Amino acid sequence: MATTTASITLSSADLLSDNLSLSSTKTLHKAGTTTGLDGIQYERQEVATGDIYDIVGSSITNGTALGTDKAHKLYVANKHTDVTRYVDIYVAAVNIGRLYAGDWMFIPLEVAVAAQDVAVDAVGVSQVVEWCFVHEGKTLGQS
Amino acid sequence: MATTTATITLNSADLSDNVLSISNTMTLTTAGTITGITETTGLARVKMASSTLTDLITVANINGFTAAASAKVYIKNTSTASDKYATIGLAGVAVTMGRLYGGDWMLFPWDGNANEDVTIDMSDATETIIEYMVFFE
Repeated sequence: MATTTASITLSSADLLSDNLSLSSTKTLHKAGTTTGLDGIQYERQEVATGDIYDIVGSSITNGTALGTDKAHKLYVANKHTDVTRYVDIYVAAVNIGRLYAGDWMFIPLEVAVAAQDVAVDAVGVSQVVEWCFVHEGKTLGQS
Repeated sequence: MATTTATITLNSADLSDNVLSISNTMTLTTAGTITGITETTGLARVKMASSTLTDLITVANINGFTAAASAKVYIKNTSTASDKYATIGLAGVAVTMGRLYGGDWMLFPWDGNANEDVTIDMSDATETIIEYMVFFE
């Protein structure tokens, strides 16, 4: 079993009257267990503008959903450098928010149905996006 | 202007043959600028003791919130139980993102358009403390 940890630190000396210093670390486990996640997909891709592209989901797994009762984790970063640019993040075809250049996100992901893909839309210009999907296993598409 | 940073590290020595070591720091800024975000809900702690789908963060309750900008949401399930979880989603558009098991945390960009409240659905009625914080403009 693999041991993978995800840590976050949120810091600011001047957002609040007092310092903000919040840290959390978690070992990534399979759903409902203390068994480590053992699958990974780590990619970097220049995403063309003008359309919405799946990065995780049924299109990657030959139309097969990644399953209910899962504790997959997804990290996405926009590596573009022009701060005026962003990519829209979609979950199940719904725009949940914008990752501006330099931003990252980390979410749990349960792809219970084939339509519950995660997708990106590079708005205005093509942008380089990195994502790391740490998962419980997925079905490969048959050749 | 405030300077607020969020750093993630993803580490594993044995998930694959090579060590996984991702580290990334972002500065939280207003949309399309290098100006630091100056508003936050602060860190909130709420006690959940029901398995009913409910709003955790309501857009309309955040005074001065700008939708479709650069808001970020941090949520943590502070429980230590590995077999109980909080399902996090968005209302209005009825999106489920995934499950936060005990100790899990998440950080995501949030459009926060009207009625796109952040929802939570606990796996059972076990009393659980959920922490959250919204950074917005």
